[in-house]
Amino acid sequence: MDAGPSAGVPVQSNGDRFKIEGRAIVPGIKPQDWVSTARVLVEGEEYVGFMRTDGSFAVNDIPSGSYVVEIISPSFRFEPVRVDITSKGKMRARLVNYIKTSEVIRQPYPLQIRASGPHSYFMKRETWGWTDFLMNPMVMMMVLPLLIIVLLPKVVNTNDPEMRKEMEQSMNMLNPNPELPDVSELMTKLFSGSKGSSKAGGSSKGTRPAVKRR
Amino acid sequence: MAKLILLFLKCLVLFCSVQAVFEDQVGKFDWRQQYVGNVRFAHFDSQIQSSKKVLVATEKNVFAAINTRTGELLWRHVDKIGPEGNIDALLLQGQDAVMVVGNGRLLRSWEVNVGGLNWEIVLDSGSFQFASLVGHQEHVRYVAVLKKTAISLHYLSNGHQKWIENLPECDTVDYQSVYSAGTGEVFVLGLVPNSHITVVVYSLDDGEILKQFTVEAPWLSDLQSSCSVVGKGMLTCVDQHTLSLNILDLHSQPNINQITLQSIGLEVSADFRPVLVSSQPNAARPPLSEFFLQIGPDQHVLLQLNKGQIQTLRDFKPAMLVSFATSGEKTVVAVMSPKNKTASSINLFSAETGRRLLDTTLIFTMDPNGGNPEKLNVQAFLKKDDSVGYRVMVQTEDHQLTFIQQPGRVMWTREEALSDVVTMEMVDLPLTATQAGLEGEFGKKTAIQDGLMSMVMKRLSSQLILLQAWATQLWKLFYDARKPRSQVKNEVTIENLSRDEFNLQKMMVMVTASGKLFGIDSKTGTIVWKHYLENVPSNAAFNLMVQRTTAHFPHPPQCTLLIKDKDTGLATLHVFNPIYGKKSHITPPLLPQPILQSMLLPLMDQDYAKVLLLVDDQYKVSAFPSTKNVLQQLQEVASSSSFFSLMQIRGSSDLSTELIWEVVIPAEVQKIVSVKGKRTNEHVHSQGRVMGDRSVLYKYLNPNLLALVTESTDQHQERSFVGIILIDGITGRIIHEAVQRKARGPVHIVHSENWVVYEYWSTKSRRVEFSVIELYEGMELYNSTVFSSLDRPFPPQVLQQSYIFPSVISAMEATLTEKGITSRHLLIGLPSGGILSLPKMFLDPRRPEIVSEQSREENLIPYAPELPIRTEWYINYNQSVSRVRGIHTAPSGLESTCLVVAYGLDIYQTRVYPSKQFDVLKDDYDYMLISSVLLALFFATMISKRLAEVKLLNRAWR
Repeated sequence: MDAGPSAGVPVQSNGDRFKIEGRAIVPGIKPQDWVSTARVLVEGEEYVGFMRTDGSFAVNDIPSGSYVVEIISPSFRFEPVRVDITSKGKMRARLVNYIKTSEVIRQPYPLQIRASGPHSYFMKRETWGWTDFLMNPMVMMMVLPLLIIVLLPKVVNTNDPEMRKEMEQSMNMLNPNPELPDVSELMTKLFSGSKGSSKAGGSSKGTRPAVKRR
Repeated sequence: MAKLILLFLKCLVLFCSVQAVFEDQVGKFDWRQQYVGNVRFAHFDSQIQSSKKVLVATEKNVFAAINTRTGELLWRHVDKIGPEGNIDALLLQGQDAVMVVGNGRLLRSWEVNVGGLNWEIVLDSGSFQFASLVGHQEHVRYVAVLKKTAISLHYLSNGHQKWIENLPECDTVDYQSVYSAGTGEVFVLGLVPNSHITVVVYSLDDGEILKQFTVEAPWLSDLQSSCSVVGKGMLTCVDQHTLSLNILDLHSQPNINQITLQSIGLEVSADFRPVLVSSQPNAARPPLSEFFLQIGPDQHVLLQLNKGQIQTLRDFKPAMLVSFATSGEKTVVAVMSPKNKTASSINLFSAETGRRLLDTTLIFTMDPNGGNPEKLNVQAFLKKDDSVGYRVMVQTEDHQLTFIQQPGRVMWTREEALSDVVTMEMVDLPLTATQAGLEGEFGKKTAIQDGLMSMVMKRLSSQLILLQAWATQLWKLFYDARKPRSQVKNEVTIENLSRDEFNLQKMMVMVTASGKLFGIDSKTGTIVWKHYLENVPSNAAFNLMVQRTTAHFPHPPQCTLLIKDKDTGLATLHVFNPIYGKKSHITPPLLPQPILQSMLLPLMDQDYAKVLLLVDDQYKVSAFPSTKNVLQQLQEVASSSSFFSLMQIRGSSDLSTELIWEVVIPAEVQKIVSVKGKRTNEHVHSQGRVMGDRSVLYKYLNPNLLALVTESTDQHQERSFVGIILIDGITGRIIHEAVQRKARGPVHIVHSENWVVYEYWSTKSRRVEFSVIELYEGMELYNSTVFSSLDRPFPPQVLQQSYIFPSVISAMEATLTEKGITSRHLLIGLPSGGILSLPKMFLDPRRPEIVSEQSREENLIPYAPELPIRTEWYINYNQSVSRVRGIHTAPSGLESTCLVVAYGLDIYQTRVYPSKQFDVLKDDYDYMLISSVLLALFFATMISKRLAEVKLLNRAWR
């Protein structure tokens, strides 16, 4: 049932006591700057060890068993390691896996624990940038049709009667039910209305000549 | 466009639902206070003149360096709790501090500047007796550790053992002390009580026994308390029976020279055991020949041993405390003597002559609500003119440290009692006088009688008062803004404490194990009041109850503290005002019988104080306050109230109890570890949960439900188990029972709404597991208007799920808000010092293994066996809180906000927003953006209007 050869009840009686040794490294930072706030915790706070001024540590007085060894520092993140100690004092270190507890992926012993960077405690504030705003899908969805509505009449020459006929034909094809109000038509109505045309409430056909006259 | 932006803003608010701290919020509404515990050893770092460190080792197994200028911690090392981390001795030599830990198990050396470990070695087993530095030829190079059976000598530089020697006849002789004076000899002093003293002299070089002799001393029962080495190897003992000093020269032949105290003109107070205090400033040199003899509770005598003769240098009476201090070559003594009732003065005297040094008086003002001074730690230093200056750290009974500089300026105080908070409550602050006056306008009956006119006048005047208050506030704001920031004082005093508009600032009433009560302002962490209760037994259990809140103006708020001796069960009540800390004039009843249980009823007396019921060992009930009104009310409700300790009150003139149900939990198999009811101030907003198919699953909200945790008495890892029993407190019916096999405690449990979350240690997989139980009534409610335990025919549906948690935990609590609308989070204290805010969403027994359309509709997270720990969820970012013992949560006036206090060795206060700040504008609300958009829109309309006008005109011309 139990994982690993060494697993078992921590020896209750005055059995042999062992020591877990290792070294913690924070790349680029002198040990003096962080050791005073760091601690080594073995299985929660069951056994506590302290960091030496050179970054190495030893937790004394530990009976045989299997333990999770963690280096706790408020500034740097260290991965925990599981250390198995046999009743004869043989040690091995492996990755902590709480789900598959018997899985063994060996780690070096004496422990070599490298900090994987500073802790990230804070969320980033959402900052306002015009690019964020413009790249927002909602804005894109609104802006692109707007551009089409404004620019398309300028690109396509609506004065050409043939073209107009063609367009009307395609419109009718797209809109089989002439009873339903056309969305694009509605939009053009709305926006050409806001463009400052004086004729309020004119039908779409009524506004078109106004555009033509321009 | 504006609508669009607003929509976008709303989306933002909705999408980032994960709670975390933003970097700019650091220190805005949270604070941490770090403590070390009651100081056992303190040494001033004296290697350089200008050093500003004091090293302390405490009863809480903490070793720390305190900055003497500010009182803040420079660094701190927290060892494990219990006797294994106990600090037996602390010796300071240069920049190395040597510590014996765990009854002589470990020897550690610390580098005091960096706060890192130099070395740590394991000593041989054996109970620890004494440790001392050993010097040789003016250099201190070794440390000697004396155990019951052996003495060992270690190098200070690396901890290596120089030699270890067994002690002769160690089964009969009790070796208690080591003395050396830099001469190459180590004296080990042992004693056979009431028989003789044994002295063994070892050679420093190789541990060879050079000499060994015994001296008859039938009057001596303890060496350490009554003997001391004075001068050049003169062992001086005080005999309390004959009241004499007995001097033994350790270097020359053994015979004791007895000098009675009477012969040197000293008289010992009746029934007082004289105590000897000597000093050895340098381990490489013999101790001073001057020593103190305390011959009365407030009388000390400075004596000098000179060629076997004792001379009285000075008699200090009254003198409460004395202490030696050395700076360079000069040794002085500091004497504290009472000046008047509230102050004492400390003076320096030359150790050699006993002459008073000029201009060294220092006044120490004693707090009338504090304890008496217990110990003096003096830091002496040489001034430029070669005179001696000093600072002093006074330790008092209530675990307070006060650091004083001449001429009595208190540099800092530390309330180390707060390292051991037992229980706490958060009390609303009172309204200010003006606010209260305004409130008074509504409640009073007289107002109606006054007639319409006066009411209108009153209304207008109160409006005026408000306007005035607002104006003064504005003026103050303006005035403060002009001053540089450092000058703006934000002092919190009792006078300016008042409730803020969202009730975010509260009074934290904290009860500590030493019997000192504190009132702390939750916003800044300032201690507003403190009160030291004397004669609190050391094993006391405390129960703090808020009998009357601040809501009943003009009645003052009232808290009652039940202090119970755990052994005898005898209890006392302390009634006080939680805002000012003053003891109430109400005299609490005397409780001659041991108290079994206490309970705060929701009933109130005519003064709006909730009724406290106490059950004694005769199962008699007494009420406090016990006015006629209360007793009458009690009789009315007596048939329906019940203690959960299986008793019911029977109404009669003297209240009694009656057993109504009993559940036997076989004590030989399992023991009850904890009983958890629901919190009384908890509100549940939603009666049920909406399922994916739009039906409603109703919660089983039984206010009388109790969760019992049991642990097996068998501790074998294959057979141990943790049980949880849900019991209805009224009927005694067991609602649900669950057993976790191959598991053991410690069990942490949170019981709220319709769910119970508990945590245990799985011995099989050697990991921490969480389990959640949720209770549901089903698709329809049995009786939706009122819940009665007696009328619930259908048992609830029970859902349970378990998870792995990748860390050991030290405390757990759930967030609490005003109306219970906000989603719940679990606050988990981790041994790493972080307080994790884990959404309850992760602990939901309805988390599906296979994701379906419906579960997605319900926003259920698919099941994953391991719960995540993300540092972004730490509500205290890098402000680690050591040894979290409890987490207290309290609702604020804002529904989104919950106040959190984590206490243990440290105290940390913050606010959490489990569902983000949905009811106030967020800190990062972009006023600039919103105003610029509005402005832009305004100008756009103006411009387009103008353009349109131009166009119209043009068209008209055409």
